[in-house]
Amino acid sequence: MPRFDPTQLRRTILEMAYHGSTVHIACAFSLVEILATLYRSHVRLDTDDPRAAARDYLVLSKGHGVMAQYACLHELGWINDDDLRRYFADGTRLKGLSDAHVPGCEVTSGSLGHGLSVGVGLALAARRRGSDQRCFAIVGDGELNEGSIWEALMFAAHHRLSNLTVIVDENGFQAMGRVREVMDLGRIAAKLTAFGLETREVDGHDEAALDQALGELARCPSSAPRAVVARTIKGRGVSFMEDDNRWHYTRLTPETYARALAELSR
Amino acid sequence: MRDAFSRALVEAARQDERVILLTGDHGYALFDEFRRLCPSQYLNAGVAEQNMVGVAAGLAKGGFRPIVYGLAAFVPVRVLEQIKLDICYENLPVIFVGDGAGVVYSALGTSHQCTEDIAALRALPNLSILSPADAHEMTACMELAREHSGPVYLRMGKSDLGAVHTAKPDLRWGGICPLVTGDGPLAFIATGSMVQTALRVAEHWKGSEVWSAPSLKPLDAATVREICRGHQVVVTLEEHSIHGGLGAAVAEIASAEAPTWICRIGVRDRFSQDCGSYDYLLREHALDRPAVLSQVREFLAARNIDVPIDASAPAIHSKRAA
Repeated sequence: MPRFDPTQLRRTILEMAYHGSTVHIACAFSLVEILATLYRSHVRLDTDDPRAAARDYLVLSKGHGVMAQYACLHELGWINDDDLRRYFADGTRLKGLSDAHVPGCEVTSGSLGHGLSVGVGLALAARRRGSDQRCFAIVGDGELNEGSIWEALMFAAHHRLSNLTVIVDENGFQAMGRVREVMDLGRIAAKLTAFGLETREVDGHDEAALDQALGELARCPSSAPRAVVARTIKGRGVSFMEDDNRWHYTRLTPETYARALAELSR
Repeated sequence: MRDAFSRALVEAARQDERVILLTGDHGYALFDEFRRLCPSQYLNAGVAEQNMVGVAAGLAKGGFRPIVYGLAAFVPVRVLEQIKLDICYENLPVIFVGDGAGVVYSALGTSHQCTEDIAALRALPNLSILSPADAHEMTACMELAREHSGPVYLRMGKSDLGAVHTAKPDLRWGGICPLVTGDGPLAFIATGSMVQTALRVAEHWKGSEVWSAPSLKPLDAATVREICRGHQVVVTLEEHSIHGGLGAAVAEIASAEAPTWICRIGVRDRFSQDCGSYDYLLREHALDRPAVLSQVREFLAARNIDVPIDASAPAIHSKRAA
């Protein structure tokens, strides 16, 4: 079983980003521990078959963080070293945003506010089939600007989709600035609770805390859909990227790549 | 036509438990029978169309066969991006039904009218588009849609205009239905509510052919090519913009394969201005029968195409408000 070690996952992200000369590094870094915890201990997968019919669904609605998911899929063996090195090369399959044609990705995202509704549909389908499959849907806090997110939350609560867990990667930033300066969301957990979700709030880089919250929600007898608000730091793991929104857009140079890698190798 | 739709829905749900009807809080009275007979397969998703389409995608991925109903102004137009990304990109078996397409909601204004849906959807890969003209075509279209493995948009326009067929046509994807055959220089190809108008207007030129096009995408290019080759003028009619709809599709085929004159009758790139009855709105858009007749005559005259009017054809009048 893969270890999903956060430092190794960040190294993988960095390698992809450097080879592909891509942006969105900080969006991926904030979500590493969330994905690591989910893949390691909560999402039931058949490691031999990404499309196994009885799998739990991990929906990355926040498609901008897809490199973090690719790093996990690499650990699962669903993406190989060549895929990483040739990221963004002509004719390759891994795109810069989540794409449902990639085994292991459940939805096509990047246009925000889509994935959660699809996840809600997957959870509803599982329940109608009498299956115990669950759906974990990760949304960004910037993504909460989208009205369709709140439509999906209303629907999930109304239909008592207890097999749905919404995880908010609250890194405090959206594309052009701090969330509280662009579209202040106030306390997200309070909003989710008001919408009828059984909600926990944790440090999104503390794997033990994430593990505990997800475990608690899995055991919780409530028929409500579940939510975890994971407070994170955009760019987490590399000191000069942390809490600096330029790393939503900045590409690595040989120099910044070496510096970042050195930090992740300590 | 609405009864045929309602019957087809009930039949689909009773024969296949994977069928789930989703509505965005629309369809008053239309689903009474469905709700009575198949209550567990009915889902009112509320006034939240974007989420409804995403949920339909999830249901389809999870093994179900969703039918998503809304007014055409909302489904598909409001949720175009969800249809593109969540449904078409994955080629999921979801049927969209857009009701009241065209200017059916004549008194309610622009928010409820829809003359851009075909144009918006034709450019989406994997999506098929059906536009039945009467109850018989509706039944045939629903059968095609149900058997299809990818997404389908079913356009339901003015539904109480009476039958153009005497029985269910033998419809296949792309197929267009011959209604009147002849050896004259004019052919009329119409879809949905405008097929009746085509039948009446065509009577004014002897030997005119009339075709109904319930399958707009795919559209049988071979048949359209033959129609274009065999006629001096092809007139297309639709309760939809002249841009991007049936007329455009026919013109695309003609331009590449069989150039001929194409007279596109439809909404001329404008919104409705005033409120009124359905017939009033048709007149406003010059889609009532006398106006269509005039447009075709003017088209011929402007191009010096000398095809005499058949003086023995029954006169046509526009319905006037009392």
